[in-house]
Amino acid sequence: MNNLCTDVGYLSINKYGEQLCGDTVDIACQNENSLVLVLADGLGSGVKASILSTLTSKIISTMLANNMTIEDCVTTVVSTLPVCEKRGIAYSTFTIIHVVDNKTAEVIQYDNPHVIYLHNGRNYEYDKINLTIGDKSIYKSKIELSPGDVLVAMSDGAIYAGVGNALNFGWQRTNIIEFLEAVYDDSYSAKMLSSILIDQCSQLYDNIPGDDTTFATIKIRKRKPINLMIGPPSNSNDVNKMMTLFFAKDGKHIVCGGTTSYLAAQYLGKEIHTELDYVDPEIPPISKIEGVELATEGVITINRVLSYAKNYVDDSNCNTQWKLQKDGASLIANLLFEESTDINFYVGKAINPAHQNPELPINFSIKMRLIDELADCLIKMGKRVNVSYF
Amino acid sequence: MNVYVCVGSSCHLKGSYDVIKLLKEALATHHLEDKVHLSAAFCLGQCKDGVSVKIDDEIVCSVSQENFEDFFNQRILKHV
Repeated sequence: MNNLCTDVGYLSINKYGEQLCGDTVDIACQNENSLVLVLADGLGSGVKASILSTLTSKIISTMLANNMTIEDCVTTVVSTLPVCEKRGIAYSTFTIIHVVDNKTAEVIQYDNPHVIYLHNGRNYEYDKINLTIGDKSIYKSKIELSPGDVLVAMSDGAIYAGVGNALNFGWQRTNIIEFLEAVYDDSYSAKMLSSILIDQCSQLYDNIPGDDTTFATIKIRKRKPINLMIGPPSNSNDVNKMMTLFFAKDGKHIVCGGTTSYLAAQYLGKEIHTELDYVDPEIPPISKIEGVELATEGVITINRVLSYAKNYVDDSNCNTQWKLQKDGASLIANLLFEESTDINFYVGKAINPAHQNPELPINFSIKMRLIDELADCLIKMGKRVNVSYF
Repeated sequence: MNVYVCVGSSCHLKGSYDVIKLLKEALATHHLEDKVHLSAAFCLGQCKDGVSVKIDDEIVCSVSQENFEDFFNQRILKHV
């Protein structure tokens, strides 16, 4: 453990009219601190490309994660891929990023646009060694990483964005670098960077992508825990125990729920100041308690956070409105999705009698389900999640 | 006078947002912004009868858009 973690986020858009993406990203974790990311771009588009890239990425990530050599991987891929009838070749380009101990990246590139390396938000060119394996010319590099460093891999759909339309020569790698340096912000997660890049490509393509386009971003960050408490404990004698455990944890503290906030304020001996302004009419205003990063209403707010999370995890048309909004749900989304790497949930199982009214859309089982689903989404985002019930 | 409008889950669903909006408007019309201090409160413990409004130390339940005028005249305007 070196208190670092590798944040990974990728997004694809499909060639216009295709249901399947011909680019595939596969991630294999070797252990807690080492992983292999493969971005493969299959020849052509649609089903055929999807099969080629899926096979390629899966074979390479699995073999490399099990310490086989790159030569073995390439040989295996070449002899495994089905040969395209029309073109008489089996072909998928690929980029491999192998992160070891969150400190070193081994980058292996075959025919994809070269990986962009950002250090302190600025582009750095790195040395590449040219290898020939079979008839393939492969570039291999080793990069020493420090916290905050970013590696961006992409398929060639990215650099063809806007060809003949918005741009004469497409969105060339140098253009992408300029764009990245301009938009870069330290607080952005890997997923956010990928999503910003994909959005830009989509625009350049005028929403009619001429090729499958994928960005996969890796960011080295310091581990950052966040703690979220929702609901009072089912046994009211456990309030002190729950509060003590919660506030003893490192990192920022979020408290959700009116009663829960009162109990937290009482425990801390502080007052609650509830804001009057509704930033969003659907989300109750937030409160301030000294010693707590953020206090919000419970079920309605978390429900909104969950819908943001589902969209962020599943949808390729990533909607990141919460990045800029200041309502309770958006603030929580920012803290959980972007800022944190480890999330500890403290869930109280007390039942609020007023919520058992069948007319209200907020009963107990819904609260439990919300947290379960939110935890699932966060795990999919690559977070370490821990849930304790009281 | 201190007025707190509950913005807990139940009250929120029953229309805290509208009540706060109406209160702000009414206070402005009667030029009472200096005399009545309006703020929000987390759960006031009367979830079954929302929207709850606390006026100084007294809790008034079941305030809604419909009975707002009565509520404002009786409970606030008269006592300022």
